[in-house]
Amino acid sequence: MSDLSQNYFVSVAEIAAKLDQATQIAQQLSLTASNARAVALRAGEKAAGFRPLTDFIDRLADITIRSSKRINKLAAILSQTSAEKVRADGAMKHFNSVYILAKDSPFINSLDKVYLRCKSAQQSLDNTYKKQIDQLSDELSELSNELRNAVILATLSRVEASQAGSEYQDALVNVADNVEGAAGKIKDHINYSQQMVAELDEY
Amino acid sequence: MKTQKLFESPSHTWLMFGRDEDKPNEIIDTNQYMVVSKNNSLLMDPGGIELFSAMLAAVIKQVPADKITHLFASHQDPDIISSLGLWDQALPSATLHSPWLWESFIRHFGMNNIKYSAIPDEGNTLKIDGISLDFIPAHYLHSSGNFNVYDGEAKILMSGDIGAALEPVDAPLYVDDFDEHIGKMKMFHQRWMPSNDAKNDWVRRVRKLDVELMCPQHGRIFKGDNVKRFLDWFENLEVGVLHKT
Repeated sequence: MSDLSQNYFVSVAEIAAKLDQATQIAQQLSLTASNARAVALRAGEKAAGFRPLTDFIDRLADITIRSSKRINKLAAILSQTSAEKVRADGAMKHFNSVYILAKDSPFINSLDKVYLRCKSAQQSLDNTYKKQIDQLSDELSELSNELRNAVILATLSRVEASQAGSEYQDALVNVADNVEGAAGKIKDHINYSQQMVAELDEY
Repeated sequence: MKTQKLFESPSHTWLMFGRDEDKPNEIIDTNQYMVVSKNNSLLMDPGGIELFSAMLAAVIKQVPADKITHLFASHQDPDIISSLGLWDQALPSATLHSPWLWESFIRHFGMNNIKYSAIPDEGNTLKIDGISLDFIPAHYLHSSGNFNVYDGEAKILMSGDIGAALEPVDAPLYVDDFDEHIGKMKMFHQRWMPSNDAKNDWVRRVRKLDVELMCPQHGRIFKGDNVKRFLDWFENLEVGVLHKT
């Protein structure tokens, strides 16, 4: 038995924790968007090219926050399901050994109803678990794709920052750095989670 | 897991399960008791989670699963009732009788199906197929909400941790030499039982009962005169002390 098969519920909890961190970083992205808007407003015509980008930063922050909250919720539900699955798997192991230990008992068949009910509950939990893993995997891919736009957004922001003149250039470059940095950190968490989810999916 | 018949009459039987040679070394050996009447059974202090398979296998050799209608947990400890989540799946229609004080704690072991029947502090009586089983208060010995089970017809007192001794799994079933047995009980009772008042109150009440067998959750059973010897010894023992030589 591999470590993962014994500890998959711990892995799920780890994913949930990682994604919680990603949500917090996404909140930073939102602050960066507000900051970008304020700088662009102050800079007026000098940052005319930057202003439309602030809408995109805002949109990216919004999508990332909503998506990471959704993913976070999914991971928490998956964590709950996996804990229930551990309990159901454990119960089945116990019942299987009772069938061996008490095979000569005249009353062994009195457990059949219980056994079948637990088996069916275990099967249902298995299906739910797999479905939730797939859902989580899809949501992670979607967010990962959205975050690709962050790199483009940061590059465009730097180009526009260079046009804004020395007074506002540093502040706007800082915005670009923040967008790239936050997106990069979130992406790391997403990548890590995707790898873990892929392993759990195989299991 | 060994099974031993302690009492038999036309109306009911007392069984003891214990001395489990296959249990992990690190956990304490426990005695489980069951009263079997015509259509029902009461399983007392069914044990820890790691004991569940062996226990259910032993029980199912005696009665069909749907005949185990009642469970009893003298208090909240894991060696008493941490298997509850599994019994909850095996016996979804059973009732658990346990101190009211521990209900919200015991439910943490996992209880979705089994009904909780909270025993009030003063105790009460469970009637199964005409048999009266009294839940006798034993608070603070060694838990703040704690009960024994007394069967007046069989003259058996299931005393939980009172009278418990720490022994190897191959220990005899009954106390043979009481004086020699004291060494196995003394520290446990002094350390785990915090109140001399509660202890003496329990001794006074139990002296009024007709007890032929006193059956603790760990160690050996006291029979006949050894029950009285235990009560005398316990009455004179100072409890609630960290270390006493």
